[in-house]
Amino acid sequence: MISFILRRLASAVPTLFIVVTLSFFLMRFAPGGPFNLERPLPPSTMENLMRTYHLDQPLWRQYVHYLSNAVTGDFGPSYIYHDNNVAQLIGKGLPYSMELGFYALLLAVVGGVITGTIAALKQNSFLDFAVMSVSTIGVTVPNFVVGPVLTLIFAIMLAWLPAGGWGDGSLRFLILPMIALALPQLAVFARLTRGSMIEALHTDHIRTAKAYGLPSRAVVVTHAMRGAMLPVVSYLAPCAAALLTGSAVVETIFTIPGVGRYFVLGAINRDYTLVMGTVILIAIFVILFNLLVDILYGLLDPRVRHD
Amino acid sequence: MTEMQDAILAVRGLKVDFSTPDGTVEAVKGIDLDVRSGETLAVVGESGSGKSQTMMGIMGLLANNGTVTGSALYRGQELVGLPPKALNRVRGSKITMIFQEPMTSLDPLYTIGRQIAEPIVHHRGGTFKGARKRVLELLELVGIPEAQRRIDSYPHELSGGQRQRVMIAMALANEPDILIADEPTTALDVTIQAQILDLLKALQTRFGMAIVLITHDLGIVKHFAERVAVMRRGEVVEQGTTADIFERPEADYTRMLLEAEPSGHKAPPPDNAPIILEGRNVGVDYTIPGGLFRGASTAFRAVDGVSLRLRQGQTIGIVGESGSGKSTLGRALLRLLPSSGYYRFGSTDISGFDRGAMRPLRRQLQLVFQDPYGSLSPRRTVGEIITEGLHVHEPDLSRADRDRRAIAALKEVGLDPASRNRYPHEFSGGQRQRIAIARAIILKPKVVILDEPTSALDRSVQGQVIALLRDLQEKHGLSYIFISHDLSVVKAMSDYVIVMKNGRIVEEGETDAIFKAPREPYTKTLIGAAFNV
Repeated sequence: MISFILRRLASAVPTLFIVVTLSFFLMRFAPGGPFNLERPLPPSTMENLMRTYHLDQPLWRQYVHYLSNAVTGDFGPSYIYHDNNVAQLIGKGLPYSMELGFYALLLAVVGGVITGTIAALKQNSFLDFAVMSVSTIGVTVPNFVVGPVLTLIFAIMLAWLPAGGWGDGSLRFLILPMIALALPQLAVFARLTRGSMIEALHTDHIRTAKAYGLPSRAVVVTHAMRGAMLPVVSYLAPCAAALLTGSAVVETIFTIPGVGRYFVLGAINRDYTLVMGTVILIAIFVILFNLLVDILYGLLDPRVRHD
Repeated sequence: MTEMQDAILAVRGLKVDFSTPDGTVEAVKGIDLDVRSGETLAVVGESGSGKSQTMMGIMGLLANNGTVTGSALYRGQELVGLPPKALNRVRGSKITMIFQEPMTSLDPLYTIGRQIAEPIVHHRGGTFKGARKRVLELLELVGIPEAQRRIDSYPHELSGGQRQRVMIAMALANEPDILIADEPTTALDVTIQAQILDLLKALQTRFGMAIVLITHDLGIVKHFAERVAVMRRGEVVEQGTTADIFERPEADYTRMLLEAEPSGHKAPPPDNAPIILEGRNVGVDYTIPGGLFRGASTAFRAVDGVSLRLRQGQTIGIVGESGSGKSTLGRALLRLLPSSGYYRFGSTDISGFDRGAMRPLRRQLQLVFQDPYGSLSPRRTVGEIITEGLHVHEPDLSRADRDRRAIAALKEVGLDPASRNRYPHEFSGGQRQRIAIARAIILKPKVVILDEPTSALDRSVQGQVIALLRDLQEKHGLSYIFISHDLSVVKAMSDYVIVMKNGRIVEEGETDAIFKAPREPYTKTLIGAAFNV
């Protein structure tokens, strides 16, 4: 097990290197730069800025420079948010994004697995049909529609919950963004669970369990559910990485001070270092969660145990 | 004493229906059966006869679209229509089951110890820990070596035969009255099959439970059962003692089934018949690839120094259990996979031939596979499937000529020429195998390698396919290599037999000699384990 984890962490290094290299050069090849504003800056100011940020040097030197700083944890200054460097920006925003993302993930997984299981057990019933219709809506309606609608109903018309902001960080402030963030993922989990549960319920070993007079709770929970969770667990990694690193749309709608918006704002403003910082952040999350999921997978399924 | 008093399970007027989009399918049409205390009743029939669905219906295990009506009295208690909770007190306790698929019948995610303990805990109460001692006893009872260590194994760590033993342990856990064995050995090698059946018999003697054996294999029935019920199309056509059924069958269908056992034998080709295909010192290695962190790759020798000479008009039967390398040898002889050794086709040395060099010869070297469902493309018509080879090997043929060849080939294999415009799913297993044979013979090959061509078919259909293959051989002077684990079919088809084990030849010789006087212990075991030769 330990050697499995070490091997996987070792193989993460080249992955990260490729991600960093690709996004560095892709970003630089995009037209424009961080200081190309609507009103052009005077040439002397421009020259000064370029020199300060080493943007006047050849690209390969900038790359080497960035890389050597990045390994020491220095992800450079942000070109737009002058008061903070990239590490500080992400360090400040990440806890907010992660807390919101964690609740959303919890809601998506628990809600999705429960509704999906019920739909599978009542396959082709009205309940199944209803769950699947709602989950189709969950997948297709984007959260920039769901967010404002939730705000309109629960914050403005019913006035039960605050419309946005982090407030004192209490759950009241988190409920609406959490729902907006979780809904599409909940729908995916419900569909995945339903599908794999239906398949699991038709396997030979479920027939065995029934033939041996096991109560239906034992058949469903002990035998069908565990096998059916395998595809669901696989989806957990990309989903967790996406939710925990913040959503630009949801954080903007509900004015959450997380890191999600940096990705969009950074890209629009050609804030090279900020984009690089968020790319690395997401890459690390994806790699870590894939590793976690693989470990979890091994615990669930003895056939893929890592030793 | 009347029969009724004797019966611990009395089935009367049992019907099983399935509602499908095409209407109701009557799988079992109101049958009567009696299972008496301590006896072995064999329910025999071909696929689709309703023999399994009868038992599934009684046990409440039908698919969602199935309904069961009629009556099944177990010691006076009606099982049909019993609420699930009450039925669960009988299932797994008084009446237990083992199934055909030992690979999939156990949950892959739990240890076998836990799975055997489950019915004990559920029916008798107690804890999994407390049941462990009983599970160990059971594992030893069913002959699992090193039970102490094996109890914590997962199903994938056991062989097929061992898994079936685990299922039997589970079935015995609560000392049942009736054990229903649904094709318990069909998925197993013959030697393992014999061991499992012996085990069941020994356990029956010891514990006195009745066994209901559902099978298509008359050889097993003859050696194992006291009474037989023959089923066909959802009805019981004949019931009686095993001796009566085998010696004085009354129903035409029973007689047909008994006659469908492969028979006859093939005369060897004349001594001056030319050698058409030869492989000398054939070796095939499979490598299990290594990786950056996995270490070096490891090799596994699937075929090890096998030599074989096939004469014109000859049929060489290759027998062996799964993993013996018999299929791999067949593919190596056709140069379909990387292999070492010397190969000759007719007078041509084909040892060094690559794919391109082999292509012109391919039409004369054809292959027919076991699985008549998987080996035909489902989205092409039968006509397209059987003429595909003509496009490659006789590209100048006009469309009309190809069509004529297709008609001729279909007629030769006994199919209606009109079927060339239909799709494979519209045909039965036997018909599909005929299509696969038509695809091979349309090219007028010299050698056909038949890889378990009859193993997926019912006995009666098997007999027809064998007759067809013999017929074609005589008409076209074909040479066959016939790969099979089924000794009775090999005995009927081939004039020379090669017995393989672990990639090597154990014994070879003329068919009669091998079957009448096997020399090697392994061959003896193999023949001894097959009930029907």
